[in-house]
Amino acid sequence: MKSLLCLLAFAAAANSKTILIVTADAADFVLAAGGTIASMTATGDRAILLRVANDDKNAWDLAPEQAAARTSAECEQAARALGIEKVVSLGYREGELGGVSPTELRDRIAFHIRLLKPDVLFIPNPYAEYVEQLDRHYTGMAAEEARHTAALRNHQPPLAAIGVEPHVTRELYYYAQPVDPRRREPEAAATFVPQPKVVGIEAAFSKKLRAARALKTIQTAAAMRIRQRLESTGRRLPLLDTVNEESVNKLVEIELRGLATLCAKDFPYKMAEEFHYAGPEYQVPAKLRR
Amino acid sequence: MIGLILLAAAAIAAAAPLPKAAIPEGKRFLVIQPHHDDHTTDYGMGGLIAKLVDAGYDGWFIRASNDEKDGAWGYPHNDMINQRESEAAIAILGMKGLYSLGWRNDYMDPTPLLELRAQIILLIRKHRPDVVLGHDPWGHYDRNPDHRKVARACAEAVWMAGLRNVHPEHIELGLEPWRVPHQFLKARVDYGRGHEANVAVELTQAHVARKMKAYSAHRNVYAHPSMARSVRQQLAARGLKAPELDRKTDEEAAVAIEEWHMDWISRKRGTENGLRYAEIFYYLGEFDHLPGLTGYLRDNVVKR
Ligand SMILES: [Zn+2]
Repeated sequence: MKSLLCLLAFAAAANSKTILIVTADAADFVLAAGGTIASMTATGDRAILLRVANDDKNAWDLAPEQAAARTSAECEQAARALGIEKVVSLGYREGELGGVSPTELRDRIAFHIRLLKPDVLFIPNPYAEYVEQLDRHYTGMAAEEARHTAALRNHQPPLAAIGVEPHVTRELYYYAQPVDPRRREPEAAATFVPQPKVVGIEAAFSKKLRAARALKTIQTAAAMRIRQRLESTGRRLPLLDTVNEESVNKLVEIELRGLATLCAKDFPYKMAEEFHYAGPEYQVPAKLRR
Repeated sequence: MIGLILLAAAAIAAAAPLPKAAIPEGKRFLVIQPHHDDHTTDYGMGGLIAKLVDAGYDGWFIRASNDEKDGAWGYPHNDMINQRESEAAIAILGMKGLYSLGWRNDYMDPTPLLELRAQIILLIRKHRPDVVLGHDPWGHYDRNPDHRKVARACAEAVWMAGLRNVHPEHIELGLEPWRVPHQFLKARVDYGRGHEANVAVELTQAHVARKMKAYSAHRNVYAHPSMARSVRQQLAARGLKAPELDRKTDEEAAVAIEEWHMDWISRKRGTENGLRYAEIFYYLGEFDHLPGLTGYLRDNVVKR
């Protein structure tokens, strides 16, 4: 029996994967993919978070420097709640990625792909439409390119000189919160096209909730903005008559349940997250797969 | 299988009439576009502008480019004519004023995005619009770099103007943060799959007539006599003629032909959506950016 357990543990370890999650901001990866990430780390996968921007504008009443420091600490807590081992922050200013060279951003992400050599990448879906924070779009596009260039020896040749070899990532999850009305439509059936994938997250929901609640600065700002908008138009949301930790936590839970229900619609789950997914077979042209 | 069902559902949805947009409660709107004529073109928004003004809104037009290439004259001359005609057009529609940002026409790809966005944020904070009208930043196949650039700058300006840490220098000037709650976005639907409208705005014949009048105010680029001459020649080559154009000068005939086209497209959008006249848009409401909360807010927000 003991040897069988050892064998199972060994098998689990042997199958465990390394995951690199690329996110523009501290909230997006939690809201769009937190449940799926938590499910994977719970079964022994190792995950690292690469956070591109610093959330210095996403606070209600903090100066940019304070907001950046506070959200960084909270992002670490959120990551831990999902079982993520480490957070690497690139430190770009929030909302300003439209002014950053796409090639620079790509190469910085590619560096981390080559360094970590992940089996799985989570990246913001750059093709998701009506995403409000374009930082997510720019990060997704850079990460999409980085996955490609990280595999090529002729990109960033000095890296090989220090032993950071090219790397092909075999699995790719494109994540986005469900704002694109056409997000469920399948892509063309041609070769090399990722397809929609829905993942049930009921078992991991409590971890996702804990992670989202850890982002206190961002969540409080969101609650205050909703309250302000309603107040300025002669309305109120009874839950937000008092904005404090309790009401913000409640609002976060309602939002997460709302997202999970939207993503589970038409699938046999109560709670879900949705992706576009390109698995290992995606590397092989359809003609050759048989 | 699910994919097939979704495809079929999408096909049915495309054929079904769009929901009719209500005019949001509010007082002010901004039209934010690159070119002098973008608000009134056949696939444009002149009808909605007229309707907003009739509903008591005050509106301003932000023209981001200098339109130097649009027209038959040299660059500076085109800029000046198009500016004047733009002023005339927005007066016809009942708008209050025009801001020309003067970025170089058709060369806006290398325009610094964050600088353009900062200008739009400043004007949003000054006017605090309840509604913004502009190009759809997600429309595919728009070959015009100016449309893409301004739409993208605008897509972020509408919500970033609401954050105190964005351009705090504006706050020093006494301006307050302001998030734009409602957006109506347009794109040419003949540019492929990219833009799928989600609302139809019902127009009256009077709205369409005003849009038409504003459209033909752009005489530097529309309703040019040469267009009427070309139509007459094409008809004659096929042994045809249009009696309605017979007693008209080329200039009058050009206006009449543009009017027919505007009436036709406005009726077509109307008929497709069970209305007499319409324009179609992608509408984004005040909490559409929070997909997990829209249902809860709809059910639980109360009057004070
Ligand atoms: Zn234009």
